[in-house]
Amino acid sequence: MDLESWVTTFLSYAIPLYLLAFAIYVARMFREPRRVPDLVLVVDALSYDLAAFLVILSILLRTPITIPCAIALVLWIYALDIYVAKYLESKELG
Amino acid sequence: MATMLSWILVVLGQVLVAIGIACDLIAAILMHRLRSFYLRIHALTVGSIGGAVVPLIGAALIAAGSDFLGTYRWYVAGGAVVTAAITFIMAGAGTHAIARAVLRTRAVEEEPSSGA
Repeated sequence: MDLESWVTTFLSYAIPLYLLAFAIYVARMFREPRRVPDLVLVVDALSYDLAAFLVILSILLRTPITIPCAIALVLWIYALDIYVAKYLESKELG
Repeated sequence: MATMLSWILVVLGQVLVAIGIACDLIAAILMHRLRSFYLRIHALTVGSIGGAVVPLIGAALIAAGSDFLGTYRWYVAGGAVVTAAITFIMAGAGTHAIARAVLRTRAVEEEPSSGA
């Protein structure tokens, strides 16, 4: 087996496992308790793993376009955390 | 013909990606099983550091070792390392901000020490 098919086969097996983890995370969003902090925790975990998934996709699909998407996604998750924390503490988002 | 170094990089990267997938699944299950908000923060850390930073570094190694990707493999490897570094710093900071806000505003009923 040459290197290319070795990498492609491995990453092809990784994709369904990632999708399974995402499904479990999404299922958690619909279970009680569904308070804002709980949902933020699940969205955080789901999005960080999505960023890793995007980089793996860029290798599998041989396209570099998903790399900036992963960086932007990670930065947005941090912004979400700060906005929610700020809203919880001082009831304003500015 | 891929060199020995390429194979070493790729296999090392695949081990890290496999560890990342395992952490990912464990964290997802823990999000269901842990009853307290403050305990679920641990699951988030498993999911963000073990489930994102580790496979990102693994993907960087795989990309660096994949000669068939051509010259853009360095772009992917660099982007993966940058994403891993940003995630490593910001995951902890963001989680602490949320935890502090929740503790101060009593947004959840349970106490941090309640391990139920």
